[in-house]
Amino acid sequence: VRAFAHGFTLAGLYATEGGAIVRAALVSPQGEVRLVSVAARDGAVPTVVDRAYAAAWDEREAFDLYGIRFTGHEPLRPLVNHDLELARWTVPVRGDGPYQVAVGPIHAGVIESGHFRFHVVGDRILHVDVRLFYKHRGLERAAEGRSLADALAVVARACAACAVSNGVAYAHACESALGQSPTEELARGRTVLLELERVWSHLNDIAAVCAGVGLAAGNARFAALCERARRLNATLTGHRFLFGTVEVGRSALELDAKAVRAARDELQAVGAEALSAWRELQFNSSFQDRLPDIGVVDADAVSRLGAVGPAARAAGVRADVRSAALGLAYDGFEPVVPERAEGDVQARLEQRALELWQSLEILNALLDRPLRPATAEPDGGGDAIGVGRVESPRGATLCVVERTDGRLERVRLRTGSYANWPSVAHAAVDNLLPDFPLINKSFELCYACADR
Amino acid sequence: MLTLLRDLRRLRRDLALPRPDQGRSLAIRHVDAGSCNGCEHELTLASSPYYDLQRFGLGVVASPRHADVLLVTGPVTTRMREPLLAAYAAMPEPRLLAALGDCALGCGILGAREEIVGPVEDVLPVDLRIPGCPPTPDAIANALLRLVDTRTTEPTGPR
Repeated sequence: VRAFAHGFTLAGLYATEGGAIVRAALVSPQGEVRLVSVAARDGAVPTVVDRAYAAAWDEREAFDLYGIRFTGHEPLRPLVNHDLELARWTVPVRGDGPYQVAVGPIHAGVIESGHFRFHVVGDRILHVDVRLFYKHRGLERAAEGRSLADALAVVARACAACAVSNGVAYAHACESALGQSPTEELARGRTVLLELERVWSHLNDIAAVCAGVGLAAGNARFAALCERARRLNATLTGHRFLFGTVEVGRSALELDAKAVRAARDELQAVGAEALSAWRELQFNSSFQDRLPDIGVVDADAVSRLGAVGPAARAAGVRADVRSAALGLAYDGFEPVVPERAEGDVQARLEQRALELWQSLEILNALLDRPLRPATAEPDGGGDAIGVGRVESPRGATLCVVERTDGRLERVRLRTGSYANWPSVAHAAVDNLLPDFPLINKSFELCYACADR
Repeated sequence: MLTLLRDLRRLRRDLALPRPDQGRSLAIRHVDAGSCNGCEHELTLASSPYYDLQRFGLGVVASPRHADVLLVTGPVTTRMREPLLAAYAAMPEPRLLAALGDCALGCGILGAREEIVGPVEDVLPVDLRIPGCPPTPDAIANALLRLVDTRTTEPTGPR
């Protein structure tokens, strides 16, 4: 509680040691992460949701999976547990003629599985209950008990779209626990991978918003650029989603002078074509007309709900893990925000474009020389617990690793998508039901890395 | 807008994708039974200008009622078993089922035992296996086309 008064924000909370202990990860205004541990008494700890609403999902998950109660968190609705009756997990909505529209878990298109229960009057959304975890695979538990190196493959399987971000967060957590620090070359290699992931991801997100509006030409144009970015990934690393490129304590990625030059040329070409297509979108009035004032998450809501990533920056909140990233090559990084930072669909879309140009610049600078295999070096530290925090394309991703020697005892992966799902529900309120797909696409969160 | 269309036309010309040599049609219903989202991202790009699945008459439809084939990704989680069975039950006969990606085929990294039912074939009969982690848009398109072609018993009439 004192930490919150000093400007710390919550980056995640989880149960460990079979539910005997709850740990909260807090981030200082300077970006430093601290862990606070509380031992449960009679299976309960005091809730922090009154101070940090961002802990709401974490506490619900900890109860469902570890049976730990959070005194004062009432009602503690189920999150992972799907066995309870409807009234237990939906918010009661009363008044003049509201009815419910149940959508999913299977959706009309190529979309991940998840359920939305809209409470509406006519087309107007009063409230939406988001019920995810249809894709819960128990990946944290599946990883636990393995060696730190082997567990990476399981953790990385949480999500293809954030494979590098999740992998680097895990690798950083392991290395901090083992008392290792990445060398400059390792930091550069990982930063290249993180930004390659952001490039294809943001191109995908712009295409997705075009699809959400129904602008087929814009969707096809940006989908084609996304394809080129993925082909570049395959050329550079052998995998379109950069799978297998992140390892604990080392990197095998090697790019010679010819490869980095070709990569820079291709990224420049993709950037130029993306800019030209982006300008076209600016002058398409029926496209632009759909975007402003829809799905608003303003700066107040960002801090209250703990929103992260492009969703937070689109509301003018200049928070980005890259500003104070340890073990990565982001020297002098400054977060960008749009001029019109209204936190709506328009601002989130523009935020993607601004970050795309920025990522292309970062890559252009980082790929100015060949990239060699590299390792982490002992730094004299080390602990049973290690923390890694990385800015994924969807926002701050936290990974906490607890170990006994080289064995993984507990891992908690809290991704940018996990942090932002409550904001999607908030953004939908007061909007029209037919705009929900567009609002949802303007966040373009992964279900997979929330559910794990 | 005109520039967008011009650029797409140019891209189409440069790619010079071959025209299909025969008329075909396959309506696909996608079900994510617990994937990592990789198969979904590749399936999405199978409709992009680089592959243009639609030129073969292949398209993703919005209901299992309209579908010829159920395309299932991911290992089947305990929570997706019922929705998957419901989607399959809603399909008209003759219906086909394709398992997309290594997880759906049971050779990927699946998860904790108590959360996973198993590969798709533990739940439903599988007619087509598309391996890969994830399969590329090309691999997806080729596998689905082979499925249509091997199932076509009568020669296609003149168009």
